[in-house]
Amino acid sequence: MKLLKKLPSRVLLFSWLTLVAAGTLGAAEKQPQTVQVSIGTILASNQSDEFDAKLKGMEGQLKVLKYRSYRLLKNESQSVPWRGEKVFEIPGGRTLTVTPQEFQDNQVSVKVRLTQGQKPALDTTVKIPNKRNFILAGPQHEGGILVLSISASAQ
Amino acid sequence: MELSDWELVQKCQSGEMSAFQELVSRYHQKVFMVILGLLRNRDDALEVSQETFLRAYRKIGGFQGGSSFYTWIYRIAVNLAIDAQRRQKRNPLDFRDNMDSLLESQNEVARDPFAEVQDRELRENMIKAINDLTPEHKAVIVLRTIEGLSYKDIGEILGCSEGTVMSRLHYARKKLHDKLSSFL
Amino acid sequence: MNECERIEQSLGRWLDGELSAAESEVVRAHVSGCARCGAAQKTFEKLERVIGNVLVAAAPRIEFASFWRDLERRMHDRPPWHKELGERVHAWFAAPRTAWVIPALIVVVLAVFSYDSYFPFWRSRSNLATVESIDAYGRSVAILREDESKTTVIWLYQNQEGDDEAAEETPQPGPAF
Repeated sequence: MKLLKKLPSRVLLFSWLTLVAAGTLGAAEKQPQTVQVSIGTILASNQSDEFDAKLKGMEGQLKVLKYRSYRLLKNESQSVPWRGEKVFEIPGGRTLTVTPQEFQDNQVSVKVRLTQGQKPALDTTVKIPNKRNFILAGPQHEGGILVLSISASAQ
Repeated sequence: MELSDWELVQKCQSGEMSAFQELVSRYHQKVFMVILGLLRNRDDALEVSQETFLRAYRKIGGFQGGSSFYTWIYRIAVNLAIDAQRRQKRNPLDFRDNMDSLLESQNEVARDPFAEVQDRELRENMIKAINDLTPEHKAVIVLRTIEGLSYKDIGEILGCSEGTVMSRLHYARKKLHDKLSSFL
Repeated sequence: MNECERIEQSLGRWLDGELSAAESEVVRAHVSGCARCGAAQKTFEKLERVIGNVLVAAAPRIEFASFWRDLERRMHDRPPWHKELGERVHAWFAAPRTAWVIPALIVVVLAVFSYDSYFPFWRSRSNLATVESIDAYGRSVAILREDESKTTVIWLYQNQEGDDEAAEETPQPGPAF
């Protein structure tokens, strides 16, 4: 306590100002302006042993699903503002609506809705490490199943 | 009844200029002597003495009586004198000239304080030896010898511990003794 | 160190009156009976006298009236703005060393807690996506997270009827993982 009493008030003021400045800077952690959302639509099946060369980078991830054949049907990338929606057409009369929520700790939180026609099939909120992806799989299509690779890159 | 230093300070803080004038009259000579001991030049010492009281006047509002007034004013004086000393570029011989002219102007050459300083060479060498000390060592010698202050007070003025005062004094005296042993 | 050397070390403090009564008595008793230390005391006293005479003799009496007159004039003159500003800045930063410990500690603590902003590769080891919420509208869902391939898979099981175009003919595939 004696030490505290001796401290000049201006130094305590400096300390408070340092804390406030740090807090303000921390709170204003620079938020990226938009999110680049990429949807890779892949058809997985056991009808052949074909592995699409374009999916080479995802080989390790796709092998988890244990299908023999993987073919990239389409790849689409869109810049989406925070809290803004973007609808992606998915084969089989489906749509995928992606809404980036927030960016924190280098992770992008996205809300994803898969609809079948007009009916919602899945609503999920996923936190994706920046520039990485997650896989949504299961909907049937042309003798196989659709594998959707959903990635987000905050910019 | 004579007011204490602290009472005068409080009056100054409430705006009474006469109280500050009284404080200056009490300490101006002592402050001047200490500064002259450090700077060895009358005009510089006078200038720094004025600056000391000017600074004290400006800061007196913040003086809370944590130390005595005289240690506070001496602290200002010594710090300013040390700063001035570092800026000083005069030749050490000028100090001797200043010293002689001071003595002559006082017409006090024959007075008792000089009874012991009969040897001009001892005096000149003493002046040179004191000037060769670092500002910090000179300060302890001046404060102890001129003002007879305790180690505690000197420590408060210089912002150091009693132990540091003691070792600086011991070192300074030993240095002076070593340089002047043949004269003593 | 012999007795005389020890006494010589204490001579200054003794003559300055800075020793305790007991210590003073020890020194006094030794000095009065030792020729060498007695001589050292005399030399010390002579040195102090000479120093004092040199310093005190150099100090003429300052006439108070003129000193006060000059001082008063200065007190009423404001210093140049840059000098005043310099003095203020100097006063603000001339805090005791210990007083700067607190702001320095704050900076260190903040640096430790925000290190991951500067070293993102030290961040959370898990580079896997995390499912925070899920609603499959009555369907079954399986979630797989595999560290090795850094894969998070949400597997949506199919409903019995009407969901997908090939539901009736093809066996309902489930996750093979």
